[in-house]
Parts: sequence; C-alpha cells; structure tokens
Amino acid sequence: MEPILRTTKLGKSFGHFAANADIDFAVQPGELRAVIGPNGAGKTTFFNLIAGTIPATSGTITFNGRDITRIGGSHRVHLGIAKAFQTANLYPDQTVLQNCRLAALAHLQGAFSFQVFRRSTRHARIDEIARRSLERLDLHGVAELRCGDLSHGDKKRLDIAIALATEPVILLLDEPVAGMSRDEARKTETLVRKLASEMTVLIIEHDMDLIMGISDSITVLHQGRVLATGTPAEIRENAAVQEAYLGGHTAEELHA
Amino acid sequence: MELLIQALLNGLVRGLIYVAIAVGLTIVFGTLRLVNFAHGAFYAIGAYVGLVVAQHFGLVPAFVAAPIAVALFAIALDRLVLRYFYDKGPTLQILITFGIALVVEETIRLIFGGTTQQYPMPPGLAQAATTVGPITYPTYQLLFAVGVIVMLLLVWWFIRGTTYGLVVRAGVRDRIMVQLLGGNVQLASTIVFALGAAIAGLVGAAASPIYSLDPDMGFNFLVPSFVVVVVGGLGSFWGAVLGGLLIGELQAITTLVFPPAADVVIYVCMALILLLRPQGLLGESEVIRQS
Amino acid sequence: MTSTDVAPIAEPSRGGFFGADLRFLGLTALGLAIFPFALHLIGGYGGLATQILIVSIATIGFNVLLGYAGILSYGQAMFYGGGGYLAAILLIHAMPNHPNLWLAVLGATLMTTVLAIVVGAVSVRLYGIYFALLTLAFAQMVFFIVEQARDWTGGDDGLQSFPTPLLPIGPWNVDLQTPLPSLALGPFGNLGDLKLWYVFAAVVLVLVLWFVRSLTRSQFGEVLDAIRENEERSVFVGFNAAAYRLAAFAISGALTGFSGALKALYDGTVSVDSVGIERSGSFVIYAVVGGVQTLFGPLVGTAIIMYLENVLSGVISYWQLVEGVIFVLAVVFLPNGIVGTILKRRRARTMLVNAVRVK
Repeated sequence: MEPILRTTKLGKSFGHFAANADIDFAVQPGELRAVIGPNGAGKTTFFNLIAGTIPATSGTITFNGRDITRIGGSHRVHLGIAKAFQTANLYPDQTVLQNCRLAALAHLQGAFSFQVFRRSTRHARIDEIARRSLERLDLHGVAELRCGDLSHGDKKRLDIAIALATEPVILLLDEPVAGMSRDEARKTETLVRKLASEMTVLIIEHDMDLIMGISDSITVLHQGRVLATGTPAEIRENAAVQEAYLGGHTAEELHA
Repeated sequence: MELLIQALLNGLVRGLIYVAIAVGLTIVFGTLRLVNFAHGAFYAIGAYVGLVVAQHFGLVPAFVAAPIAVALFAIALDRLVLRYFYDKGPTLQILITFGIALVVEETIRLIFGGTTQQYPMPPGLAQAATTVGPITYPTYQLLFAVGVIVMLLLVWWFIRGTTYGLVVRAGVRDRIMVQLLGGNVQLASTIVFALGAAIAGLVGAAASPIYSLDPDMGFNFLVPSFVVVVVGGLGSFWGAVLGGLLIGELQAITTLVFPPAADVVIYVCMALILLLRPQGLLGESEVIRQS
Repeated sequence: MTSTDVAPIAEPSRGGFFGADLRFLGLTALGLAIFPFALHLIGGYGGLATQILIVSIATIGFNVLLGYAGILSYGQAMFYGGGGYLAAILLIHAMPNHPNLWLAVLGATLMTTVLAIVVGAVSVRLYGIYFALLTLAFAQMVFFIVEQARDWTGGDDGLQSFPTPLLPIGPWNVDLQTPLPSLALGPFGNLGDLKLWYVFAAVVLVLVLWFVRSLTRSQFGEVLDAIRENEERSVFVGFNAAAYRLAAFAISGALTGFSGALKALYDGTVSVDSVGIERSGSFVIYAVVGGVQTLFGPLVGTAIIMYLENVLSGVISYWQLVEGVIFVLAVVFLPNGIVGTILKRRRARTMLVNAVRVK
C-alpha cells in the first residue's frame, strides 16, 4: 500500500546546526506512529517540517503521492495535515467554541475568501463541526468560557479540538499528555486510540507506557537522524535504541 | 579622478556617521528587541547640546558634554517610558519612539528656531586641509573619520571583552543564560541602550562642523541608518559597519553621477535587500518572513 | 493596539437596511450635519470641515491596515499623493475639454489599487518592522518619481489650477463649488459658509464608513481579526495570512488613493508634499490619536489634529510640539485612542451591568 506520508532525506539546518538530517520516513494510512527519542533528537523539528511551520533545507515530503515540500502551512491544513502544538496555541481572548469555529470556518471557506459584505452563510455547519470537536475532547461544558482562563490540560485538549475541527486526514500530536493529570492523560489516551481508528496519527511522547501501549509502530530519532523504525516489540529489543535512549538498560529492567 | 576621490572620501565620512548611528540601533535591537525610531533624536540632541557647549566653552568640552547629556536623556527615557514597551511588539515600539522623536524635533525647533545653525569652529581648524593623493581634503573631516573608527573599535572591544558586552553578544535568546551566569540583565540592558545613544550623540556633536544643524536632522539621519541596519543585518555589529560604508559610498557616488537620485538610491538598495536577502548581508536568517 | 483592548467585531447584523444599519446611517448623517457648525464654534471654517472629511477617508484606509489587519505601513503617502496626482493628470491629459469628476476619481482609485496590489504582493510576507521599512522605501521611490517626472507632475512645483470638474448626477451637472444658501446660525456660523463639496464629501464618507463597518462584521473581517490576534494559530487552521494582508493592503490603498484624488480635486492643486514622508507620518498620528480599532476613531483623530494644524497654528507657534505630545500621550495612555477608550469604558460598564443583572 502507498504510504500516505513519506519523507525522503529530509533535513533542516539552522546555520551549521543540523536539527534534522537524512530522514527517510513513511507511514501507512490509518497507522498510529509514535516518534520518540531523547531530548534534542529533533522530534518537534520533524513535526514542524511535516506541518510546514518551518521550511526544509533539504529532502522532500510527499503526501498522498504529491510533493508538498514547497507548499505553505496553511495549504497543508487544507490538504488534511493538522498539527496540535506542543504548547497550546490558542486565541486567548476568544471563547473555547469560537476557537473551534474559526478552524471549522477555515476548513469550509478555504485558505482565502473575499467575502467582505456578510458573515459566512454556513454558520450552522460551522457550529456543528466545532461543537462535535469539542464534545470529542469533552470540552463542550466550557464552550462559552474565555479560553485564556482554561487550565493547562484543558488548553492542550482544546488545541487538539481545534486540529480536529479542520477535519484532518493526518493528525500530528506533539506531547499531548505532557503536564496532564493522570485522569486527563488516561482520557486523552482513550481519545487518541479512537482517533487512530479514523485517521492517521503521528504522536510525539515521552510516556513510554502510553507509547508502547497504543502505537502500531515507532520511529526513533537520535541527534536528528532516524535510528530505528519498527513495532513496539522490535524497538524494545533494539540494542542501538536501548543504548541511545534507554541508556543501556533493557526494557525489563526499566519496567521492573 | 579628483572628483572621484573626493566623492569616495565624502562617502567615507558620511558612511561612518551612518555606521555610528546604526551600531547603536542594531545592538539595541539585538539585545532588547527594541525598534527605536527615536535613535535619530539622540544624534540631534548630541549635535545641539554640542552646539551650545561649543559656543561657550569650545569644541573639546562639547565633545565630552554631548554624549553624557544624551546618555542621561536615554537612560531617563528608557526607565520612564520605553521599558514598558519592551515586549509590546515592534508596531507599538515604532509608534512610541516615533512620537518621542517628533516631540524632540519640535522641542529643538522651539528652542533653537527652524533655521540652520552653524557650528563655531576655531578658524585654524576650519580652514586646514590635508593632501590626499591628487586632492586636498579638509583636515577636520579626516580627523573625524579616524576618530569614529577608533571609537567603533573601542565599542567592538567592549562587546567582545566585557561582561556587559556579553549581553550584547548573547542577545535576548539567552537572557536566562546571562542571568544564570550572574549578569544583571536589567543593568546591562540599560547600559547598552545608553551606550548606543551616547555613540549617536557623540557623533552628532562631532559631525556638526561638517554638516550644519537643522531640527529635522534627527529624522534625516535616522531613516538612512535604518536602511543601513537592514542592509547590514539587524543585530549585527559588522553588518552595521559594512552597511554604513556601503550606503555612504553609494550616496556619494550617486551624488557625483546623478544628484537627484542620491536619496532614492538607498531606498532601492534596501528594497532589494528586503526582497532578496531580508536578513541583511551579515545578519542571521531569523524569522523575518511570516507565513 | 493589542487585540485584547477593544472587541473589534460586533455581533453579526442581518445585513441590508434593517434596524441597526439604518440607525447607524441616520446617526452618522446627523453627526456630519452638525459637525461644521460645531467646528465653527471653536474657530473652524467651512473649508476645513470639508477637508477633514476627505482626509479622514485616508485615515480610515490606514486604520484598515493598522487597526484591523494589525500591520503598520509607513508609506501611505504613495497612495494618497499618488491618487491626487493621477486624478489631476487624468483631468489634464485625458479629458481636458470634458472634465468628469467620476472618471478622474475612479480612474485614480483604480490605478492606486493596482499599485497597492503590486507593492503589497512583495511586501506582506515581511514581519513588522521590515514591512514598515519596505513600504517607506517604496513611498520614497514614488516620491522620487514624482519629483523627476516634471512633464507629468510638475516636479517640485506640483500641479496647479487644473480644470475643475463638474459632478454629473443624472441630468444635472453639479458645480460643487456652489455655496449653500445663506442662513445665519449665530455662533455656529452661516450655512452659506459651506459649499456643496461638503454635502458631497459627507455622503461619500457615510458610504465609506458603511463599507468599512460591514467589512469588519463580515467573514473577511472575522478572519482578518483572527489573524491579527494570533497569526500562527490562524495559519495552522488553514487561513492564508499573507493573502488576507494583501487584500487589506489593497483595500487600504484604494481608500487612501480615493481620498487623495478627492482632495486634489477639492484643492485644485496637488503638491509634492502629498507623497512625502511627513504625509505618511500624519496618517499614523491621526489614526492613533483617534483610536485604531474603532470605526469613528480615524475621523475623530483627523479632526482633532487637523484642527490643531489649521486653527491652533495661528494662535500657538509651537503647535507641532503640542501635536507630538498629544500623540505620545495617546500611545502611552490611550492605546485605543480617544474613541476606543470611550467605547472600552462603555463596554466595561455594560458587562458590569449585565453581570449584576444575571445574578
């Protein structure tokens, strides 16, 4: 089967510093792929390259067979690539609902619309998409709150809801449970599983239990390069991964 | 040939003024992330303070008084007004500093009137000329050039060699690191700001024998200095040097060849840089473009 | 100046001439009818009132950029003066025998819009200060061109006494220079101080205000507001921020050029000052003093500063200093300008009342 997303020798350098180098990566439609690695391995940079936050300095990115390397971030969203930020990026003075509505509006109207005389005529549909996203993240109760007033965990969930409101085909989650309470983390884990059955999900996380439990496959990055790719079991047994990431301990020792 | 050498020297002198103003602008932006449209006002205040002191006490006291006066003004400005705008984004900073520059210009006009002023110079110095190759060139301007170069080297040493200079080099990105290393970021920032202002003030006083004084001299030198900063690279000391000399010479040669274009040629230069290499000749390619 | 200060988008109206719109139009028209007489009370004169209305259209254009799109342009004079010169040139060269006001103004506006699109297309991708500097650079290039193209623009002398067009409305050709019938109004002056120009300018201004008002309440306006509030977030829900900024820049250029063309026709002359850097700066001052995210702010700001420039300048010799101080005070203490601060207080009071009511 054709991978839905593929990168070939993808690289990003800041001056002389290579944050990402020579990354060959492919993920099948519907897969839940975790991207892990020690701090500074270049995971967030990799997600930023895929989402289009930053331009690549070398290599290509192909989505559904189409080269999107030079395509801007806003257009990638319309192609179906949505990213939830590591630190929740919201419209702080708008309500929770309005945050999602804007995403839904963008999804329905396209990247640009010169409608200067009236509001969108599709507010019913926009509302529907927005509310549905909020419900999935269990945020419908706070729909009318100013989102700057939300708790940290709620803000992160709202960020995911916004991404969902663009009705993506690939969802990139950058440390979705970081800083959440155990309850919230568990609820988010359940949600991620559910989402993975509907779309392709790429996830960066440090929580090993979570990763090993839900991923179909794992890519390990180390110092900006791909160290290994495989199923959770394969990665757990991989000596090089253990060396770089787990510090030489076997997985059994860590899980003891 | 003689005309060319003359033009090149003129360009050097003018360029060095731009460098001096631009260096202050660029290090303030590099450390404080502050866009300061009032920087030209420092230049003007230096010139007019120098004028008053020179009229009563002579040239050398003027060159001492001017940077001190400007530095004090800059510190007061920073503490009272500008520090509230550090993280307010460039738009608001441009607006407030533009407003301050306006007020300074109009205050100067109120005090000194709108007419052009001339600097009192001891006649021996005013007439002295040195032979440079086939031409003779005013000695004062050569002295000025040398003086500015020496001053710039001192500034460079300061940036490279002292703890306060560390703040300049580290830039805002590493504010936390500087604090951890024991540097007092607040104090260092104020010092950097005052230093940039003092440089502009000193050069304002020193250049006044060469160019006469007008209330709008602040803006007249500010805008080209921003061009210099953009061309050289916002935040880069040597970029300011390179840019200043480039722009100065470009203006001088254009004045020789097609005088009416002397102003616009620097804007064309800036536009080209912004479109083709927005980080400037020696700047870092930070986030200059938006999505 | 930040997005948090004044809620920029009001609730959506149902469009068309229903309730709120009619009331808006009515109140605005009333205000404009009273304005010249109130101005006379404090030393103004009829011509000044007309000029204020015309110039404020350009300030409104600037406000679309700064207040709604959130970008600072330091080169608006290229559109303002450009519009003026283009209108004059059209009259002199294209229709010397049959000067037509509509054609001159609309032609100038169209060409200015094209210029705005061209300049905007290369500029809007640049961040804050760089964008401001690039617009300044382009404006200075336009200044240079205007100064050099003596055959077309008169160079430093500008263009003077070009044919004053009549305004064709239906079967009539209206001479806008005609004064209104004389009617003494005591301290408020005389109706006859005003010319038909004022009526024309007022009608035009009301239409411009209505357009901008619907713009801010429209889908386009909603997105523009979102981009201004958080650009990165907007891009990553799928809005093409650069395209929106370009559109805002084009609209701004059109309004500014339109204003410049009208002003040139009103004055009967156009000078090289109108494309100069001080001109660009003046719009910044007018808009900030009046209030950048408000509809009427630009009008209020233009009125106050132009009043200062034209009336107080005769009384105080240091009026420019006063102008500068007002501007600085406005930036520091009234970041929403005069109108914005009033609106903010009123909204705060309303929210307080509502909160109490709910309890």
